[in-house]
Amino acid sequence: MIGTLHLISANLLRRRMRSGVTVAGVAVAVAALFSLVSFQRGYHSGLKGELDRLGAHLLVVPKGCPYDAASIALHGASWPCYLKSAYLDTVRKTPHVAVGAPVFMSAVYNPATGAQTVYCGTEPDIVALKRVWHIQGRFPGAGELLIGSETAKANGWTVGKTVAMPGLEHRNGRISGVIGPTQGADDLFIYIPLADAQKLFKKPGQLTHILVRLDDPEQVDSVVKDLRGCDAGLEMNVVPLGHLFKTIEDLVRSTRLLLGCVALVALLAAGAGVSNTILMAVVERTREIGVLRAVGASRGDVFRLIWAETVALCLAGGIVGVLAAIAGARGVEGWLRARLPFAPGGALVQTEASVVLFCIAGALLLGLFAGTLPAWRAARLSPVEAIRSAGGNR
Amino acid sequence: MVDLARDEHVARIERTALTVAEAENLSKVYRRGDEEVRAVDGISFRIDEGEFVAVVGPSGAGKSTLLQLLGGMDTPTSGNLRLAGRELSGMGDGELTRLRRGFVGFVFQHFGLVPTLTVAENVALPCLFSHCDSREAKSRVDSLLERVGLTQRRKHSPAHLSGGEMQRVAIARALVNSPKLLLADEPTGNLDSQTSARILELLHELNGDGLTVVVVTHNESLAAAAERRITLRDGKIVENAS
Repeated sequence: MIGTLHLISANLLRRRMRSGVTVAGVAVAVAALFSLVSFQRGYHSGLKGELDRLGAHLLVVPKGCPYDAASIALHGASWPCYLKSAYLDTVRKTPHVAVGAPVFMSAVYNPATGAQTVYCGTEPDIVALKRVWHIQGRFPGAGELLIGSETAKANGWTVGKTVAMPGLEHRNGRISGVIGPTQGADDLFIYIPLADAQKLFKKPGQLTHILVRLDDPEQVDSVVKDLRGCDAGLEMNVVPLGHLFKTIEDLVRSTRLLLGCVALVALLAAGAGVSNTILMAVVERTREIGVLRAVGASRGDVFRLIWAETVALCLAGGIVGVLAAIAGARGVEGWLRARLPFAPGGALVQTEASVVLFCIAGALLLGLFAGTLPAWRAARLSPVEAIRSAGGNR
Repeated sequence: MVDLARDEHVARIERTALTVAEAENLSKVYRRGDEEVRAVDGISFRIDEGEFVAVVGPSGAGKSTLLQLLGGMDTPTSGNLRLAGRELSGMGDGELTRLRRGFVGFVFQHFGLVPTLTVAENVALPCLFSHCDSREAKSRVDSLLERVGLTQRRKHSPAHLSGGEMQRVAIARALVNSPKLLLADEPTGNLDSQTSARILELLHELNGDGLTVVVVTHNESLAAAAERRITLRDGKIVENAS
């Protein structure tokens, strides 16, 4: 006939605009919290994924900022400084170095299309590093190309085809292989033999970086020490990627902490708003509450009713906030990518069921707290005083 | 001696069975700042089962306070008030709530309908708090709506009803938990004379079915139609006549 839920929804729908604004306030706070937690998860797993995709423990780059170097090596761009190919032997001979893969990277911009193509010259050793690679075909020989999955898909390229190399005039190459999707920057790169790249970009005997995999990851510090102490050590920067990513994550974490505080304040402000809205509703409905008491509602019934109304508002806000955050995740991701000094590949804002539940539970908890004061005020109203009050409806 | 004591005991049981409410030296005192207001001042009376009592008197005489005391919405400052043989003084909020839920039905001058609920839902509202079975609640609501002539209006919002219809909904709501005592505070105060007459007729019908009715009113025809009239002035009974 009539249930508590029906009574609650009827009361909330009585002032649609006010309920809507209150729900929106909670939704904004929950969306901020959701985006932040999802970003934390996404960024952490993105960095971990980058490490796995890269397959290297160390990055050897020319002298300069290691963060720029890492960003360029991971996401592809033209490199302004170079290492001598001769350093490669030194690196490979260092104890505990299992694989040393040389890379010459250059990005070519096509002003006609506005597209950028990243070419990576390397040697077959890199396949031992890139454990996530599944090559359809084989590693390229002279004049051949190994294509990332996205680039192959975008151009309709398949193994065996001879194609014009994007951004390079009068240059063709035969596709020897296509790399399966990695969800990383490799999906966009074109790999060619190292000698071809050095010749193509007129940098013979030069490298942009060396990717190093160790036989024992625990020996990172000892290998770094050896490499920095060798003759070539003054000319190169040895970057332990695990440490680098940890430093990047720590830097982002401090920003995240600040944003977390903002989200928390937003949540508290939303809670205060909800509490105030329900308090106003209690004052307006004083006489009605008196009538409820007269027809048999106990103090507990009134408390539960008002409490449940607050929780319902917050839950609605939580659900709307989570849905809005999921819907806007792409936009948030784009915005973050444009502003972060280093953004790993893959989804930066990662939507997980546990985060959804966490945020909904947060909204529920907010409702329980925000509803306590108005519910307590409503429950302690004397039925006589409430019925005598001028407020309320006929 | 023994026979006399037993006769007294039997008489008390019979009297309790027939007495719905009994007040002895009942007082309710409010404080308004430093001033002490004796809304009800040492009154004694009895209301028996099936009676139709009108409580009349000028404004501020203590009529509504008396009704609230009778309905367990408030507790006396001093004296005794027994409802269904149970003493109200010293009752906790939980006990008073249970009393209101099962023994008393209230009708207000301002109707007190919840505007967001339909007519049927308003009538069913007390069932929500007495946790009665939903089928039973529906059957009671249907029968009461038929009784007050509002079956066709069951899905209407109170905003679409006339004053008389709203008061009939309020009466149906007051009866849904099958109370023994119906308390009505100025039930015709907001109604025109024709509608008032229909409400009076309805109250009479209910009383005819055995329901005890106590009405606070300024309406002379309503008071005249009652079996007994209790007249209050300054919190005291100045007339208690059949």
